[in-house]
Amino acid sequence: MVWQPFVAPFRKAGLAAVVLLAGCATFSHDAGFGEVQNTTQQYIRQKPVWVTTDAQKAQNDEQVQKLLSTSLSVEDAVQIALLNNPRLQADFYELQKAEASMVQAGRLPNPSFSMLYARHDGDYSIEQKLSFNIMALLIAPKASEVEKRYFAATKQAVTQRVLAVANETRRAYYDALAAKQRLHYLEQVKGVSEATSELARRMQAAGNWSALDAARERAFYADTKIELGKAEHQQLVAQEALVRLLGLPNAEKLQLPERLPDLPASQDSLKQVNPDDFSKRLDLQQMRASTDALAQSLGLTKTTRFINVLELGPVRSLDGRRGDPAKKGFEVRFELPIFDWGTARVKRAEAEYMQAVQQVSAAAVDAASEVRTSYDLYRRNYMVAQQYRDEVLPLREKMAQENLLRFNGMLISPFELIADARSQVLSVVSYIDALRDFWVAETQLEQSLIGKPLNQERN
Amino acid sequence: MVSRRAFLQFSGAALAMSAVNKAALAGLPELVTIDNADTQKLLYPETGRPYHPVATLNGWSLPWRMNNGVKEFHLVAEPVRREMAPGMVAHLWGYNGQSPGPTIEVVEGDRVRIFVTNRLPEITSIHWHGQRLPNGMDGVSGLTQPPIEPGKTYVYEFEAKRAGTFMYHPHADEMTQVAMGMMGMWVTHPKNPNSMKVDRDYAFLMSAYDIDPGSYTPRTNTMLEFNLWAFNSRVFPGIAPFVAKQGEKVRIRIGNLTMTNHPIHLHGHEFEVAGTGGGWVPKAARWPEVTTDVGVGQSRAIEFIANELGDWSFHCHKSHHTMNAMGHQVPNMIGVSQRGIAEQFGKLVPDYMQMGETGMAEMVDMAEMMSMPLPENTLPMMAGNGPFGALAMGGMFTTLKVRKDLPKDFYGDPGFYQQPKGTSAYEWAGALPEAPQAPVPAKETPAAVELQVKKPGHEHAGH
Repeated sequence: MVWQPFVAPFRKAGLAAVVLLAGCATFSHDAGFGEVQNTTQQYIRQKPVWVTTDAQKAQNDEQVQKLLSTSLSVEDAVQIALLNNPRLQADFYELQKAEASMVQAGRLPNPSFSMLYARHDGDYSIEQKLSFNIMALLIAPKASEVEKRYFAATKQAVTQRVLAVANETRRAYYDALAAKQRLHYLEQVKGVSEATSELARRMQAAGNWSALDAARERAFYADTKIELGKAEHQQLVAQEALVRLLGLPNAEKLQLPERLPDLPASQDSLKQVNPDDFSKRLDLQQMRASTDALAQSLGLTKTTRFINVLELGPVRSLDGRRGDPAKKGFEVRFELPIFDWGTARVKRAEAEYMQAVQQVSAAAVDAASEVRTSYDLYRRNYMVAQQYRDEVLPLREKMAQENLLRFNGMLISPFELIADARSQVLSVVSYIDALRDFWVAETQLEQSLIGKPLNQERN
Repeated sequence: MVSRRAFLQFSGAALAMSAVNKAALAGLPELVTIDNADTQKLLYPETGRPYHPVATLNGWSLPWRMNNGVKEFHLVAEPVRREMAPGMVAHLWGYNGQSPGPTIEVVEGDRVRIFVTNRLPEITSIHWHGQRLPNGMDGVSGLTQPPIEPGKTYVYEFEAKRAGTFMYHPHADEMTQVAMGMMGMWVTHPKNPNSMKVDRDYAFLMSAYDIDPGSYTPRTNTMLEFNLWAFNSRVFPGIAPFVAKQGEKVRIRIGNLTMTNHPIHLHGHEFEVAGTGGGWVPKAARWPEVTTDVGVGQSRAIEFIANELGDWSFHCHKSHHTMNAMGHQVPNMIGVSQRGIAEQFGKLVPDYMQMGETGMAEMVDMAEMMSMPLPENTLPMMAGNGPFGALAMGGMFTTLKVRKDLPKDFYGDPGFYQQPKGTSAYEWAGALPEAPQAPVPAKETPAAVELQVKKPGHEHAGH
């Protein structure tokens, strides 16, 4: 599933590349992985490692073990995933494959029609015909340029993949932590319910309570055990998702901390984002690169004008606090060139190109909407968690204190006191859920700033 | 302390003040209020016919002015704060600064004029419970008079025809206003001061409140489950003692404006009911008693010779009426061990203390020893200390303190009685004679449950 957003543009770019076999590229020492590493460093501080030798494998394993030796932080979890996630390692080979294609293409002096045909069966048979037409328009330097762009697109796709794995790991980490913390509290509830049930049994045995009263408490305990069982499974599911992302054989060595990170103290410390700023949005950058490559392949050179894919006028800047008067922000431009279409001969090229432009436009509109959505969720989840932290829990605590005072005065029974304490614990559990939702929303926001959102369903 | 203050300076006068202007009140008797719950100095008459004044338990008698042979009183119905016992204040409605209102003392045959000013947020009226008076002075809102609107002053005037013990209370939104504490005593003394003469004449009213622990204002819609049972809106350990010099003749006048009856019991003495709300009981109709039931809306004047030295309990014999706020839903935990359970509970409620396994007395000890905090403005269910430890009482409980020497005018607390040597109960240290047991039926025991009866000091393992 997660592979999908990467594969689709990759293939599209690939089409353009293989059509234009030309140039004289050579193999790099790392198939462009260093560049991927560098780009990811602009977003995260962890470095992905592509394990290609036994020595590297040993070194990697050692580093993973070291990170696992202490209580795991979210950033360490990301680092482990980038070192150890097997799917990611598989994805890195896409670089090598792309580079190989490129080099191979550069080494073919006279590409033949039949070879192209073999590479383009199925849906792309029409493309093949077109490629034949365009072939005539191309000269070698242009083909080389296209190859470079294609390779760049591949690197960007892999970069996106790395960042997506980082964010997926964050999300899985928060899920696993919340599930563990939740379980801890539900175990408390089970513990006191068990004690209450036992007290009820003793009450009945002493003749102070009827079977009805005792049965009520004991039935509650039975329900609690069932709930705890469910929570135990949820905890396992969440933990396994994290284990998979970290590429671990099992959860044995996983040392999760006791608590989720605290909620930021105030709204002021929340991230501010501008949904129309696509500068970090790697998928759009990649689409633009593909569009450029397409233009090259179509031999479109004479630029007549540029269009803004979002048709943005002066934008309202979204940074600042709620309630501040809107500030006029800088104009965000995401522009693509429009060419002189010339004669009917290039009508087909015009269609190809303009279709791509429209697709970029659609993706940009989607991207802006995705960011707005994730940003809103992020802020809202903050407010919910904040309300739990600042209002619900203190009130619950106050109620617990007041109930203890009433218990001291024999105004309420231990059963009432404990029942209230239990519901206090359950509101702590609700807070944990809200806190997890906040951290997950932050992860989703981060992801929406760099590419397509993570899948809604959890791993 | 009785304070004479100008009307406009009166505390708590926020309500409906503007409606009562100073000029309109210029012709009224000076307003007298009181700001504490102590038993005040007796009010000896300076004008009018002579009489022997009563001592209102934790209360006072209202001064009057003579106006052309008419005794004029001024009652103000208003919100008040009443300390029910040290550590607990109730937001009530009352008269002239306190609940209950001041006792009105007059003499048989007196012409009485009472100005009643309404400073409540709603209408009121005063019914002169038990009096013979013109119908138009009976104080029943709607039936015998229009209600007294907030800010208005009404005048009641009648002749105190009959000597005896009376009460006054509103007869407009009566349930609410009585539940809020609006009531007072009225004593009409005999024309002949030597008739029915006693050495000490006490008076108090019984009232009941439902004030949720942690709050201040009674829940006026409570009909039966009251949690504070009061003598003159005071509860033990806040109720003043009755005091008497050995051999003095003592009268205690008791009025009941709660919603249930109260069997009033005196230790160490027998008494006779010498009067009811309807007048004096003929001597031949009296019988000796140690407990007399005072029904709702009734009053009783009991009389006895205080000839036994000591501190003698005086209380309502309904034992839950000698407790302060308690949890009626708390189950009986006697004989139920919390071993292993209290520890679990403690994980969730760190200050959890197991209570009730041996009864409730341990709660008193714990409250003392651990000074366990209670909800705001809440009295312990059981409180009070004596020379031998905790009394573990509350509500309608106080003492009659009989002493060898006591000044005639002394109505304070003479402290605890020093029991003469050899007259106190003591712990037995010797061998015990065999204690005969009630015969046990030879039937087979029907259930294991019945074998669980606890003996103090015997550990009981849960089964």
